[in-house]
Amino acid sequence: MNRRVVISGVGMVTPLGVGKTVFMERLFGGSCGIRPISLFDATPFTAKLAAEVVGFTAKDFIRPASIRRMDRLSQMIAAAARMALDDAGLAIDEQNRDRVGVMLGTCFGGTDIAAQFGKVLFTEGPRRVNPILVPNTVMNAPAGHVAIELGVRGINTTVNHREVGPETALTYAAAQIMRGRVEAVLTGGGDILSEFFFNVLSHFKTLSPQNGETEGLRPFDVRGNGTVVGEGVGIVCLESLDGALARGAIPYCEIVGWGQSAAPALAGGWPTETDGPCLAINRALAAAGIAADEIDYICASANGGPRLDRLEADALRQIFSHTGGGPWITALKGALGESLSAGGMRAAAMALALNHQRLAPIVGLHQPIADLNFVRSANARAPIHYGLLNTISSGGTFVAVICKKIEEQRGVER
Amino acid sequence: MELKRVVVTGLGTVNATARSASTFHRALRAGHCGIGPVSVFDPSDFRTQTGGEVRDFKPRDMLPRFISLKRLSRSDAMAMVAAIEALTDAGLFPVPDQLRPELGVVIGGGAGGMLECEAVYRDYLQGRGKRPAYSAFASFGCASSADQIAGQLQLMGPKTTFMTACSSGATAVGYARDLVQTGAATAIVCGGTEPLCRITYSAFNSLQAVDPQYCKPFDKNRQGMSLGEGAGVMILEELGHAERRGARVYGEVLGYGVSCDAHHMTSPDPEGGGAVLAMARALEDAGIPPAAVDYINAHGTGTPANDKIETKAIKHLFGERAYRIPVSSSKSMTGHTLGAAGAIEGVVSLLALHHGFIPPTIHCTTPDPECDLDYVTEGARAADLKIVLSNSFAFGGNNTALVFSKFSQQGERP
Repeated sequence: MNRRVVISGVGMVTPLGVGKTVFMERLFGGSCGIRPISLFDATPFTAKLAAEVVGFTAKDFIRPASIRRMDRLSQMIAAAARMALDDAGLAIDEQNRDRVGVMLGTCFGGTDIAAQFGKVLFTEGPRRVNPILVPNTVMNAPAGHVAIELGVRGINTTVNHREVGPETALTYAAAQIMRGRVEAVLTGGGDILSEFFFNVLSHFKTLSPQNGETEGLRPFDVRGNGTVVGEGVGIVCLESLDGALARGAIPYCEIVGWGQSAAPALAGGWPTETDGPCLAINRALAAAGIAADEIDYICASANGGPRLDRLEADALRQIFSHTGGGPWITALKGALGESLSAGGMRAAAMALALNHQRLAPIVGLHQPIADLNFVRSANARAPIHYGLLNTISSGGTFVAVICKKIEEQRGVER
Repeated sequence: MELKRVVVTGLGTVNATARSASTFHRALRAGHCGIGPVSVFDPSDFRTQTGGEVRDFKPRDMLPRFISLKRLSRSDAMAMVAAIEALTDAGLFPVPDQLRPELGVVIGGGAGGMLECEAVYRDYLQGRGKRPAYSAFASFGCASSADQIAGQLQLMGPKTTFMTACSSGATAVGYARDLVQTGAATAIVCGGTEPLCRITYSAFNSLQAVDPQYCKPFDKNRQGMSLGEGAGVMILEELGHAERRGARVYGEVLGYGVSCDAHHMTSPDPEGGGAVLAMARALEDAGIPPAAVDYINAHGTGTPANDKIETKAIKHLFGERAYRIPVSSSKSMTGHTLGAAGAIEGVVSLLALHHGFIPPTIHCTTPDPECDLDYVTEGARAADLKIVLSNSFAFGGNNTALVFSKFSQQGERP
């Protein structure tokens, strides 16, 4: 358990664009990916906005024969995995293919395909269903497709736990590398927007606008009235620091510790007490061997829903407010929407922030709900050594991951 | 970091042959077949009509009054019953207050709340009723089982859910073992759960992977699997903690291995490469040579491809000794419980170690020249087992193998 673990490559297919260059400029520049829905007709719903992936062409990244077999989410994930691998400069060959893994998180996975399959089953009968759809109805389809596309036979798994899948997969992957069970892991994940689930989510009254107010995603804002659905994928390449340096790669950041916890919540609802999220953060700090005041930058999971944002603000204030001005706090969902499995994009964004010493602003925040050090201005820079990726999931599950600037490559920017 | 020893101190299951681990033990000894007509939904339009159903499942009669069944899917309820049985069996129910922050929940899922959600979806598509009962979607996806167990029992340790199709349950046990081994939790309620449902039933039928009668693993005339349902849960506990409270120990989780075929989404690699990798990694993680394995609880689905390729993989890894290792498929009795299978078969492995017997493969009557190992077809066999290997292979090429051992204080390796 002593290898140091780094993020050595990033790949993303997001509402802010495809690939790290465009993603980074728009993220730090404060662009917003939320727009009127174009993927389907949103007229019947009270919510009309979403953060849809823009500018994605699967054939730029995946073999044409493979594209045909993949659903839309698998295409995005396979493309992002390819980008992360290329960004890390890691080539897959006979020598390493059994020691490169794929560990993903997704919330809805291929259930859009399951709904297509079920539609024929329930309207035309079991003899008319299309067996071609079956492989993509399962949550682990993207991970299987990535393994086939890249030819990697290392540990392969899929976490399917509401909003916390990619973060959990990332911590599991980091542990595998620390223990030397695997050389590199492509980890992260994502979800796609589908009419079916938009319909379901809109019935749970969690989407802005509630009470007919102005629609929008406003993290940590007093006017927050619900979230805006998003979609997107982020994949990071994790490997050992020694492995990365030996290849001549320049890592983005190091993963130095994490913590997991749970707390009671209503079925699918948000928890109300701060003890659960605080426990995960404190466990992460203990694992990293650092004090709360050493955290410089926090990427929060706030999504514009009043309950989640209040809970997270209270938890962060409890742990970090005694530390002077406190760490910079950002929340990316104002730009990316709530894509459920946002952890891959958020981890990639954290890696970029630590590497470039740049802060991503909170898009949509105007009247903060708490006196915390929120990042308000675009293109801000600040010295950040330790970053915290904080995740709160409906149903009461918490993961906190602490990332550290790479000192070995001080001053080197990718 | 010091790695801790991880033992199993409680077992619970609900499946087609039994409502508890102790009745399951008797069913396995008797070679009882749980496969029969499906009644949880009307299967008359499907190509086949049989399955391993948990008949007359009445969770209210099996659970303490304070456990609410509100918003629990069938899958959640089976997991809850098995979890409380396992905790009770371990002497940890009611859960001691001081253990709650250190007790986690890791579940492997499959269709999750699909049985309930697909009925809502069907009614919506068929235009029945005034308004779909969207509340069913609160338990959509696999996460709600772990959320309900942890939430209702107020557990605050790490919590997550895996969905890797037919290997979910095994991966959950493997991951839980890592968490206890590395000190992230003192104990974990881990396992898997799976409901029979129309979409899964239709999907496997459309792939022509289902035997219309009952599955006949390793038999020359096998035509496919029998789909089943159920839950298997075990309590993994740090050895020192188990010893201090004088807990009964069923066995030790010595290791696990995960791999990917990277070959095809639904067909196994004809060379069994991924299966060999998973088994070899599990043995390496356990620190034992292949020669130490006394019994293999096979994946053994009864599909023509799986049984032939699994046999090939076992021969590849164990060489000539393969012919002297008993190999049996408990799916011949329970049916293939998909996301729960790895966990239910983990329970089988521990019952076998603890009670000193090898469960049989039933319905295997005609020898197949390509399946020529010792499949324990004559009925259960008494045996003093030290090491059991349990295989789970899945769609997406997701393979997981678990290694359990009889507990000995010294922990000597064969």
